[in-house]
Amino acid sequence: MDTAGDVIPAEHDAVAATRPRPTLAAGTGGFRPFSRGIGLRLLTLIILFSSLVTLLSTLSQLYIDYHRDVSDIERRLEEIERTNLDSLASSLWHVDTDQLRVQLDGLLRLPDVEMLEVRETVGSVANPLVVTVGGSHGTSVIERTYPIIYDDRGTPRPIGMLHVSATLEGVYRRLLERGVVILVTQGVKTFLVSLFILYIVHRLVTRHLVAIAEFLGEFTLHAGEALVLRRRRPPARDELDQMVDAFNDMRGNLARAYHDLREANRALVRDNEARRRAEEEVTRLNAVLEQRVRQRTAELEAANAELSSFAYSVSHDLRAPLRRIEGFGQMLQEGYVEIIDDKGRHYIERIRAGTREMAEMIDSFLKLSRSTRGELTVEPLDLSAMAADAVAKLREKDPDRSVGATIAPAVTVEGDRKLMAVVLSNLLENAWKYTRRADAAAIAFGVESRAGRPVYFVRDNGAGFDMAFVDRLFIPFHRLHKAEDFEGIGIGLATVQRIIARHGGRVWAEGEPGQGATFYFTCWEGREPGEQPNDPAGRG
Amino acid sequence: MSSQTILLVEDNPDDVELTLLAFRRSRMANEILVAWNGEEALDYLFATGQYVSRDVNDPPALVLLDLKLPGLGGLDVLRRIREHPVTRRVPVVILTTSDDEQDIVNGYNLGVNSYIRKPVDFSSFVGVVDQLGLYWLVVNTRSPV
Ligand SMILES: Nc1ncnc2c1ncn2[C@@H]1O[C@H](COP(=O)(O)OP(=O)(O)OP(=O)(O)O)[C@@H](O)[C@H]1O
Ligand SMILES: [Mg+2]
Repeated sequence: MDTAGDVIPAEHDAVAATRPRPTLAAGTGGFRPFSRGIGLRLLTLIILFSSLVTLLSTLSQLYIDYHRDVSDIERRLEEIERTNLDSLASSLWHVDTDQLRVQLDGLLRLPDVEMLEVRETVGSVANPLVVTVGGSHGTSVIERTYPIIYDDRGTPRPIGMLHVSATLEGVYRRLLERGVVILVTQGVKTFLVSLFILYIVHRLVTRHLVAIAEFLGEFTLHAGEALVLRRRRPPARDELDQMVDAFNDMRGNLARAYHDLREANRALVRDNEARRRAEEEVTRLNAVLEQRVRQRTAELEAANAELSSFAYSVSHDLRAPLRRIEGFGQMLQEGYVEIIDDKGRHYIERIRAGTREMAEMIDSFLKLSRSTRGELTVEPLDLSAMAADAVAKLREKDPDRSVGATIAPAVTVEGDRKLMAVVLSNLLENAWKYTRRADAAAIAFGVESRAGRPVYFVRDNGAGFDMAFVDRLFIPFHRLHKAEDFEGIGIGLATVQRIIARHGGRVWAEGEPGQGATFYFTCWEGREPGEQPNDPAGRG
Repeated sequence: MSSQTILLVEDNPDDVELTLLAFRRSRMANEILVAWNGEEALDYLFATGQYVSRDVNDPPALVLLDLKLPGLGGLDVLRRIREHPVTRRVPVVILTTSDDEQDIVNGYNLGVNSYIRKPVDFSSFVGVVDQLGLYWLVVNTRSPV
């Protein structure tokens, strides 16, 4: 379980580490619109923009006012020309200076009129009459000069000039005052509106953003509350609602995804655990198996050693007394012919025969035990040649018989030369022996392929056997034929079977009484074709 | 003329008797001396113990050696024979019931001249003894001591 205990906290740490720490954006709540981005920027932008608009509208307003004021002044001057020139002409005609001054003083009271001057232009008067009221100060002035024409009984006489000068100072002052008033009121209004907008934005948006930020700051997948904004529900769902919903959806998805992840992780941990346990089990079983193999090997070695010493003592100790029985039996038989009658001699003969038979069995037994002992020397073997050798030996030993032998060419196998020779000679010897009564005895050695593997066989057309007893063929000293028909001890096939087993193969037989028999064997069955063979039983 | 004695090293009286019988059957006139165990055989060969009066330099014509002896084994006796300069060239034939491969190999490694497994059939045994005597005592030219 330590693995699981290790993994889950680590995963918690990872979650904690990746969770965003609360930052400035979500640090404290409350209304501080100027202390952070949106409020201040909104305020600045609103003020800038509305100031610009105010400025432009004020300027156009002032421009219009200026033109109106200037045309007012011009109209006033034209008024002066229209209404006052006649009376001024009459006063000038009569050279009534006082009257002129009174009249001009009166005109000077008109707004913006700054200076008036009447100058006589009649003939070549040395010092023409000039009456001036007011005085010119500034540079921005509107000046007009009108001719004064006196109507001398129907004859118009130009007698002088009226020069009027009106100042624009007043116009400018008024414009300035008006501009200041407009700017101040507009500015205040703009500021108030901005503040209001800011407040509205804060109420409707910013504070919720802050709340959301705070929520997100504190957000973990384990604390399970959904995000809810504290506010009056708007009649229709707005963008904030959408956002909250979207976030809550995302939160659900995240939680699910996280849950899935944890599940997957847990499953993984469980899997790991199971695998680790399985591996441990395998290791343990391997160790047990190894131990068992070692033990079995030791037992096997001990058994082999015992068998060896047994075989040794059989060959020495059992055989020696047999020799004596046989030897003295013969002495008795030969040296005491007169004393022992026929019956006695028969008994002695039976004793000697039994002894010889037993000696033969002991020898066969030793051969069998030897075939399962000692190291295999595996080399490529030409079975065809070896089979031919074996048949040649049989012919030599039994030259009277004519047996047709068919040996397939180029049959090879990897095996121990000596032991494989024993196999072939045993099988061929049997085939030779059990075809003794056949009309045209024929024996064959060859190989066929079954499931891609070579199966070697020795076939004959001899006595055959009953398949019901096929299993007994390979049991030591078991025979299917009577000794009167076919002599033998019954150790040949048992030896073959042990040798083939040491070559990792099987041996089996097929036969029918009177029809002959076929003996099959394979080698290295557990191996892939082409793999190097080795002795499955090792030593012994 | 050197000795024509055959030294038979064999512990079992029955086997000794059968061997002597076989020799008689094969009509060999050699004197046969029986050593009942390995020590006695060495005493005879090296003229020690009960054979102290014997001439050491007159080794037997042939030694027939059983492998399974009480005490000193047949192979040990063989080794001692091959180690000693006087007996080094004496023909030694192992005559035993065992046909254990290891025994045969060891015997030849130690320089035995023949390894003969006593057949159970007495007639065969007589045949073997016949051939043995013929070969080692008549045909084979002995090496000069
Ligand atoms: N080619 C064959 N045809 C018919 N029967 C056979 C054949 N080969 C073996 N058998 C049967 O199998 C038995 C066992 O054979 P096995 O070779 O082991 O013994 P054996 O031939 O009787 O004696 P030996 O030990 O001398 O070989 C035989 O007694 C015989 O009955
Ligand atoms: Mg057989």
